[in-house]
Amino acid sequence: MGCSSSFPDRNAGRLASLNSESSTAPESKNLRVKLVLLGDSGVGKSCIVIRFVRGQFDPTSQVTVGASFLSQTLALQDSTTVKFEIWDTAGQERYASLAPLYYRGAAVAVVVYDITSPDTFKKAQYWVKELQKHATPGIIMALVGNKADLHENRAVSSEDALEYADNNGMFFIETSAKTADNINNLFEEIAKRLP
Amino acid sequence: MRRPAAADLVRSIKSFIISFPFQTSNAEDDGKKVQEFLTMMETTIKEHPLWAHATYEEIDSAIEGLEKYIMTKLFTHTFASSSEDAKLDLEISEKICLLQHFIKPDHLDVPKVFQNEASWLFAAKELQKINFFKAPRDKLLCIMNCCRIINNLLLDISMTTNHTPAGADDFLPILICVTIKANPPQLHSNLKYVQLYRKHSKLVSEVEYYLTNLISAKTFITNINASSLSMDESDFHRNMQLARLASEITVNEPSGTVQLSEGGPPIVRNKDIYVDGNRYPFMEAEARDLRLEDVQQLLGLYRQVVTKYRMLSEALRQLSVDENQLLHVLNNHQCQDVKEKIKQQLEQAGNSGGTK
Repeated sequence: MGCSSSFPDRNAGRLASLNSESSTAPESKNLRVKLVLLGDSGVGKSCIVIRFVRGQFDPTSQVTVGASFLSQTLALQDSTTVKFEIWDTAGQERYASLAPLYYRGAAVAVVVYDITSPDTFKKAQYWVKELQKHATPGIIMALVGNKADLHENRAVSSEDALEYADNNGMFFIETSAKTADNINNLFEEIAKRLP
Repeated sequence: MRRPAAADLVRSIKSFIISFPFQTSNAEDDGKKVQEFLTMMETTIKEHPLWAHATYEEIDSAIEGLEKYIMTKLFTHTFASSSEDAKLDLEISEKICLLQHFIKPDHLDVPKVFQNEASWLFAAKELQKINFFKAPRDKLLCIMNCCRIINNLLLDISMTTNHTPAGADDFLPILICVTIKANPPQLHSNLKYVQLYRKHSKLVSEVEYYLTNLISAKTFITNINASSLSMDESDFHRNMQLARLASEITVNEPSGTVQLSEGGPPIVRNKDIYVDGNRYPFMEAEARDLRLEDVQQLLGLYRQVVTKYRMLSEALRQLSVDENQLLHVLNNHQCQDVKEKIKQQLEQAGNSGGTK
């Protein structure tokens, strides 16, 4: 679907210096952030994460157990490092009632839809409402329109999504896990919004 | 800890363990007490002269050892200690028993490529080991090992088939299938115990994620109904009913071979009949071979057979399947296959009954 080429690709661009988790400089700040991914199955949730983690693949980092939980450290300008611990959730309707177990205590929620499918956009709005009702108050929410490379099949306009995001105090971005467009931006923008 | 300098530590650990059972109120408070004690001991150990030059790893393993020690000592007070826990454990285990009869991976959206019996069995075995251990860390390791096996399968398949890298959309459904397959002992109590007594600073990130997944699998299974399986309400109830009948039959079967009466030479028989590992020894015996002691055994077998027949007839009646027709179909099969075949027939009959 969203992701091309085989996995894992150990030769992808190496920016190993970003993984400075054990940095001990006294003025540096190390944040650990729980981020939960919500969205219909097939919108490419896991592809986005794998892109993010693989794009900066550190060959010396410990191999993680699997693709549904991944962590990646991002170094910001001011010598702060942010370690994202990314919790994927099952997007099928039958598992929707289990989501609160996952977003409990999360600092960030990324709600993903597929720009070629209005149904997934509707589902995204459902998740936003759920989060507003039940998640930790002050949770940072991002609305992500994935599969932006398939613009000829676009069925959800950027304007509609942006308007919806603005009305709900969310940050909005369109990404393509396939071409890696905006993937890093997404996480950098989230990092900027952290308290 | 054997050194005299550690006497103060030993004393506080002992007094904690001894006083613990006398101030029990509920599991949540007990959990808090253990967590506070572990945190307090961690600080004490870090400041203790004996550990003055210890590395982070050495202190860490001291705390791990302490957790294991106290939880092993307090196990009977802290694990599945209330009758409510025991009840929930039984309920979920019975529900899983029924679900095992008819839930298929397709009901839970598991793609065909990931339906791999061998790895699922391997993963299920890890979950079944959970009661071999008393320490929260060891129990948690069983859960992690199970998840690791599932993830290895996902990774392998994604790499070899160029399938989209698998995330939670694939992982959770497989974990649910594996949990149903394993029917892990005291699932509710084990999850509760790990959550309450595993040192909280160790119950984070990846470990916390996979524990959450098993909790979520348990929650899903507890609440399973027709709509969560995309099944017709009536089909779901029929399946549950059939599963109940089938498990009643299994429960009522004698666990081993019927013992022959002691003393004296065994009865002369040409052939024993075996059904599912149970021996029915009198099939070809002649009346003159029988001794008085055999009557007791014969009567027992007779009761068994009648009970089973009654249940099977009841099952068939509910399905409106004609008994003779079914027997005719079965006629050609070997004895040891009979049960399996009946099950299949019943399932088919159940399905066709639903479409009428």
